[in-house]
Amino acid sequence: MPNASALPQFEDHQNQEHKYTTCYMCACRCGIKVTLENDQIRFIQGNPNHPVNKGVLCAKGNSGIMKQLSPAKLRQPLLRKPESERGAAEFEEISWDRALDILTTRLANIRATDPKRLAYFTGRDQMQALTGLWATQFGTYNWAAHGGFCSVNMAAAGLYTMGHAFWEFGDPDWDNTKYFVMWGVAEDHASNPIKLGLKKLKERGAKFVAVNPVRTGYQAIADEWLAIKPGTDGILAMAMIHVLLRDGQIDDEFLIRYTNAPQLVVNTPGQVGDGLLWRDKDGGTQVYDQLTEQFVSAASVDTAPALLGDYTTPDGVSVRTAFSILYDKYMDPQYCPEAAALECGIEAATIERIALEMAHVAFQESITLDIEWTDWAGRKQQQFIGRPVSMHAMRGVSAHSNGFQTCRALHLLQVLLGTIDCPGGHLAKPPFPKHIVPPIKPAKGNIPNTPLESAPLGFPNCPEDLLLDEQGQPQRIDKAYSWDAPIAAHGLMHMVISNAVAGDPYPIDTLMLFMANMAWNSSMNTAATMDMLRAKDAEGNYKIPFIVTCDAFNSETVAFSDLVLPDTTYLERYDTISMLDRPISEPDAACDSIRMPVLAADRDVRSWQEVMVELAGRLKFPAFTDQEGKPKFQDYKDFIINFERAPGIGFLAGWRGEKGDQQLRGAPNPKQWEAYEDNECFFKYELAPNQRYMRHANLDYLQLAKEAAWVGSTEQIVIEIYSETLQKFRLAGQGLYAGPQPTEEHHKQRLIRYFDPLPCYYRPLEQQTEDAQEYPFFAITQRPMFMYHSWDSQNAWLRQIMSQNYLYMHRQTALNMGIADFAWAWVESRSGKIRVQVKHMEGVNPNTVWTWNAIGKQGGAWGLSQDTNEAKQGFLLNHLINELLPEDTAEQRITNSDPITGQAAWYDLRVKITAAAAGEEGSWPQFAPLKPLPGFTSAPIQQAYASHPNINLKRSWADVLGRSSTTGKGGK
Amino acid sequence: MKLGLAIDLDTCVGCHACATACKQWNTSGTIGPLTDTRPYGKDPNGAWLNRIRTFEVGVSPDSKTVNMPLSCMHCDDAACVTVCPTGASYKRSEDGIVLIDQSRCMGCNLCAWACPYGARELDPGSGTMKKCTLCVDRIYDQQLPESERQPACVITCPTQSRVFGDFDDPESDVSKLQRERDGQPLMPELGYNPVNTYLPPRESAPRPQGGSVLGTVKKIVNRIIHR
Amino acid sequence: MHPAFSVLIFTVTAGAGYGLLGWLSANEVFGFWLLSVPTKLVIGVIAMVLISIGLVASTQHLANPKNAWRSFSRWRSSWLSREAVLAIMLYPIAALYAAAIYFTWSSIILWAGLCLLLSLAIVFVTAMIYASLKTIRQWHHPLVPTLYLLFATISGGLAWAWLLAWNGVDISALANVLAVLVAFTALLKLGYFICFKVPGTIDIQSATGFSNQKVSILDAGHSAPSFLNNEFMYDVAQTKLVRMRWMMMLATFAVPLCTLCWVPDANTLFGAFVVMMAGLLAERWLFFAEARHVVRLLHGQQRV
Ligand SMILES: Nc1nc2c(c(=O)[nH]1)N[C@H]1C(S)=C(S)[C@@H](COP(=O)(O)OP(=O)(O)OC[C@H]3O[C@@H](n4cnc5c(=O)[nH]c(N)nc54)[C@H](O)[C@@H]3O)O[C@H]1N2
Ligand SMILES: Nc1nc2c(c(=O)[nH]1)N[C@H]1C(S)=C(S)[C@@H](COP(=O)(O)OP(=O)(O)OC[C@H]3O[C@@H](n4cnc5c(=O)[nH]c(N)nc54)[C@H](O)[C@@H]3O)O[C@H]1N2
Ligand code: SF4
Ligand code: SF4
Ligand code: SF4
Ligand code: SF4
Ligand code: SF4
Ligand SMILES: [Mo]
Repeated sequence: MPNASALPQFEDHQNQEHKYTTCYMCACRCGIKVTLENDQIRFIQGNPNHPVNKGVLCAKGNSGIMKQLSPAKLRQPLLRKPESERGAAEFEEISWDRALDILTTRLANIRATDPKRLAYFTGRDQMQALTGLWATQFGTYNWAAHGGFCSVNMAAAGLYTMGHAFWEFGDPDWDNTKYFVMWGVAEDHASNPIKLGLKKLKERGAKFVAVNPVRTGYQAIADEWLAIKPGTDGILAMAMIHVLLRDGQIDDEFLIRYTNAPQLVVNTPGQVGDGLLWRDKDGGTQVYDQLTEQFVSAASVDTAPALLGDYTTPDGVSVRTAFSILYDKYMDPQYCPEAAALECGIEAATIERIALEMAHVAFQESITLDIEWTDWAGRKQQQFIGRPVSMHAMRGVSAHSNGFQTCRALHLLQVLLGTIDCPGGHLAKPPFPKHIVPPIKPAKGNIPNTPLESAPLGFPNCPEDLLLDEQGQPQRIDKAYSWDAPIAAHGLMHMVISNAVAGDPYPIDTLMLFMANMAWNSSMNTAATMDMLRAKDAEGNYKIPFIVTCDAFNSETVAFSDLVLPDTTYLERYDTISMLDRPISEPDAACDSIRMPVLAADRDVRSWQEVMVELAGRLKFPAFTDQEGKPKFQDYKDFIINFERAPGIGFLAGWRGEKGDQQLRGAPNPKQWEAYEDNECFFKYELAPNQRYMRHANLDYLQLAKEAAWVGSTEQIVIEIYSETLQKFRLAGQGLYAGPQPTEEHHKQRLIRYFDPLPCYYRPLEQQTEDAQEYPFFAITQRPMFMYHSWDSQNAWLRQIMSQNYLYMHRQTALNMGIADFAWAWVESRSGKIRVQVKHMEGVNPNTVWTWNAIGKQGGAWGLSQDTNEAKQGFLLNHLINELLPEDTAEQRITNSDPITGQAAWYDLRVKITAAAAGEEGSWPQFAPLKPLPGFTSAPIQQAYASHPNINLKRSWADVLGRSSTTGKGGK
Repeated sequence: MKLGLAIDLDTCVGCHACATACKQWNTSGTIGPLTDTRPYGKDPNGAWLNRIRTFEVGVSPDSKTVNMPLSCMHCDDAACVTVCPTGASYKRSEDGIVLIDQSRCMGCNLCAWACPYGARELDPGSGTMKKCTLCVDRIYDQQLPESERQPACVITCPTQSRVFGDFDDPESDVSKLQRERDGQPLMPELGYNPVNTYLPPRESAPRPQGGSVLGTVKKIVNRIIHR
Repeated sequence: MHPAFSVLIFTVTAGAGYGLLGWLSANEVFGFWLLSVPTKLVIGVIAMVLISIGLVASTQHLANPKNAWRSFSRWRSSWLSREAVLAIMLYPIAALYAAAIYFTWSSIILWAGLCLLLSLAIVFVTAMIYASLKTIRQWHHPLVPTLYLLFATISGGLAWAWLLAWNGVDISALANVLAVLVAFTALLKLGYFICFKVPGTIDIQSATGFSNQKVSILDAGHSAPSFLNNEFMYDVAQTKLVRMRWMMMLATFAVPLCTLCWVPDANTLFGAFVVMMAGLLAERWLFFAEARHVVRLLHGQQRV
């Protein structure tokens, strides 16, 4: 750029220093470069070399300074004053020693008696590898992270279908895709990558279709917007499948080579074993080979399996190919575009057109990359064939109780178009793809002072894998892996409080929460949840006897805790973003990264990582102690270096081996942290070009993946468009399964109706019973791009962008109802009533209302004053969402979640809206403002942050007095 | 030289990254700090140099949502400069950047009144006027790596919807974008000749459909495909 | 526009002061009435006090008044700077005029003439601060300087008439002239209102670049009011505006006009002057409150 004219030296670079670390203003985990001077932050910018964000940063990442300055930062461990009530926020500050002693005593007792009485749940964290290991070592299976209320539908549907997923397990091939469909995404965790990707698409002239009831954010720049009715994406996708099948627009080669479409399914309705894959004596699945006209093992090479066909096996069993079942199902008129249009609100012609546009791109505009690769059978292939259609989907799909099946339908659409892990399609990110179903089972057993045999969470593939007691009752506190939610692969965090308070299935002793705001925006039915946290039994003891919260800030949940452990901020701690967890890999590279403290904490706080390691030593967990029972690891850093999950496999994959010259696998390297620091805090292992696509069947890749312990074998990962796992559960519901079966009628019905081995559509559960006349509107939330859940109202800059949320309504709809722009209105669901301020807009489905998520706050929380906009005008939709389904769906009320995965059904909500009376203003309900915590000095009235005094660019007197023209030209 | 920004309305998703990057850089920058009042109280408010507005164009179902970042346009005929009594506001003759000498400003607001684009905000702390500096303290800083000699908002924009350059150079990226994408000034009738240009959303062309590869499934059933 | 009270006070009182000084010096030049030296000095001092009150008030509007002195530097382009320069220049000239009165210098006509010209110029220049802003169509109009000059003339004139009457001068002719001026000004002000009844031509389409389509704002990018809201989005109920207009017309024009026509004595004229000043405050308030800055388009207003 231009040359410096006579300018002052604005920045004192000599006095500045640069440090690299990883952003944690959200879980996207971008690389950042922090410029420091005078022990303060001058500037936080994106690291251009970082694989995730490539130099860019979002609004939150750019506001890190204000997070560091937040008056809501906790400063010291807090103990609830014995005489005070939960929720009153009356605490005394205590030392860490005392805090850890209290906790150790309590936990040691639980561990020695009944480990499951510790329920340990974590929210928006990204250290599940560590917390999960900790829980395993403790011996409680009552552990999970937030995935159950977040997007387990996406993870599970992907993992049970193609071995990777939307969410953080895969990405569209931004560089090559020519047609991109985005289903229900407002922001997501690939925050910056999605934006970088969309730019690439738009520059190339690729088409971007957005399926979303609301047109904001990403949808604003879509070429076409489909204003779908919430909860109906499944039927839309299936109508597209119908069109593709009807017109023969499918990739039959892909189906035959890479999926179980040609595999033979037992066709004996009403009999045990119906719908299961037909297997030979060795348990291998079978196909019908058209060359030899014989049944052969599905895994055999150089056969020509039939895609369609009904056969009778030599022993007289009637079988048909999975694809035949699929074909018959979706060719049924109930899936034709006209029928779907009635349900989802998208015109039939549009559905048909989009399906055929995708087909055109997939089959007429396919791309080939001339790269030699080796397929699963060891055969050389000359090129990768790309079908450049890709998709991304998230909570608009997952947060419905039909989300699992809807997400499966999207994957099926991708599979029929042959766009899985091919150039231009949907790419997996290492360590994905995994074999289907991933071979990790939920841990069983609850033995005092004994670790679990495996991690608490896993992937059931048959009813035997459920966690049930002899009576068939749930064993986990959140009822994961019970008949309520058999494939609850991430647990049901949203049910913990409610179940524990009800003592259903049993009471617990201690609830330990890390990084989760469960007393507010992360619970359904918030006001009732607050009551539950305060609920006492007949003796006057709290129904949840002890609540421990580890948070960095004064959230609403802090007030409800008995013991509060203050965490560091993300700029103050060591951390790993591990491949054992939710990785930051790119499709073409395996990546992980670390955090390094860039600032010293100025409070008596400790990182939860350190605390976990310390507690593990104190509690003498086998993996954390030596033979003499002494702690094995000095601290977290030491643990990360030396802990090996399997030989050579640790939390960090880079610079392993004693000399630091091994990657992915190798002995511990004592200098590993330094190596990361030298590489700007991230590690990137690029896959060779021949390992980058078709990884489910790419031997070169699978061998690497096995070496790196990403997969257990180099066998082909066969994509399961037909899910035998689901069929086993369905059979259990039908009473046709030789294994555990439910006893309750409603469980049977749920298994029969929802565990369809092929993607199916049903109305979201709550809406099946809800009277559409009574509650005519769908009500949903969206994430604002500049706020992360509850985290950012404490941020002086971000809250200036938004400190109040509105309920957005379609302009004409609102006007018809006599609700003016900015008028106050009552919103009512079957579980409650709130008052909100309405804002009109054009770009929203006329039957849908929505708001920004988690803007509403309790007065006094988050270091805010008691009269803030967040508390007085802002609101939470959560008050209206019930954690249980309506009474009449079953004798026993069941979780308001996906019946397969237990994913919280936040977006199934239906409401009615009425104008508020004159004078009814301000949001409602209102809660008593929280008292300030000990040591809280009131927030400043004015704040002017700068890391150095400004170097003003002075204008000379000569210029001031001498210049006649004020424009650039014609100068002095 | 005529330095300024080309802003792509076709790709801006309204994420506010450029706004907070701007706030972050400039609060310790040449015109800093950028004061905030009631940062943790009711009606928080502060000085920003760049704000994002969202408009809806058309009536549903054919409406379009457009995100529009607004910062100083570094106008060629900048009345904000003309009206300034103290000489604090000026337009640099060498590159056209419109700046405010903080040591001269008396906080009379007149320049803000003269600006049609809402680009000037009075700092409640210093009592002086603040506005986009085009990051003059970055773009000329020879000690920054060359790739970083760009405005803070430009380097951070996750959709790369902001391009910085010299509109006097016909070969610059911004000039090319202005030509090729038909960049538009806002409120041209006021005659300020804003330098920043807005690239309108692109029209998307109709796409071909289908093209029968297989005919109907039933017809092509069971092609011989080797596994 | 947000009506800053200091600015209202400034333009109204200083305006009356410049008007009064204008009448005094015009009388010196043209010699309509013969006044005693003390009378002239007292009137001159009153004028300067009014002007000074106004000027002091105007600095209250500055957020960084320590730099106010710098406003003399850009007289080449800035109407506000020109105003500052001229306003200060007036003081030595007025002092010389006072000396000339006191010492009965023969150059008195020169100093009086300069005072007259400066007074007129300052009022004009003040008006041009507003009239030069293309961003506010209610201000960017030839009627604005015209009215500013007329308001100074009639408010200063009323003070002048009161002070003459108080000194026992026969003011019947003056009252007639003033009555005509007040009526004329009232007509122009009505014309001004009528002029801005028709909606403006700059619309949200032009502000956003989307012609021929409906454009509405969804989000301003900040949920609490910003500087721009406070400054430009000032809104009052239409009913209040209408009420203010009636009160303004009554106080500025009707009451003084009746006084001038029927009972122009010292006491009533003083009363009429006070009422007119109140009316002018309302006028100036309306001048701001009814002004529509184009930034409003960027906050969703359809047209200014
Ligand atoms: N800035 C920011 N980024 C975040 C977060 C944050 O709080 N702030 N949170 C993070 C977390 S925890 C998560 S889980 C991800 C979630 O990321 P997203 O999936 O982007 O989450 P939501 O904001 O819930 O967006 C859901 C979108 O689906 C739409 N929608 C709702 N119902 C339906 C439907 O039935 N069909 C369709 N097609 N669309 C529908 C909504 O209008 C909305 O646009 O974001 C992560 N990233
Ligand atoms: N209505 C509605 N409700 C929803 C959703 C929705 O779309 N609509 N989305 C749901 C989804 S997907 C999710 S993931 C959840 C979010 O669920 P949560 O994870 O519970 O939500 P957060 O608000 O992010 O709260 C996390 C807590 O982490 C704390 N925290 C922040 N940084 C740190 C740190 O460095 N250390 C520690 N120890 N604590 C920290 C914060 O102070 C806060 O109290 O919300 C769910 N709730
Ligand atoms: S998306 Fe933003 S907040 Fe999240 S990690 Fe990246 S820069 Fe930080
Ligand atoms: S950073 Fe880029 S995409 Fe985000 S609002 Fe600014 S210009 Fe738009
Ligand atoms: S945009 Fe406003 S502040 Fe910037 S140069 Fe133009 S008139 Fe001046
Ligand atoms: S506020 Fe400052 S920069 Fe603006 S016109 Fe007044 S003195 Fe000049
Ligand atoms: S160029 Fe610099 S000062 Fe101007 S808007 Fe961008 S970041 Fe802000
Ligand atoms: Mo989430």
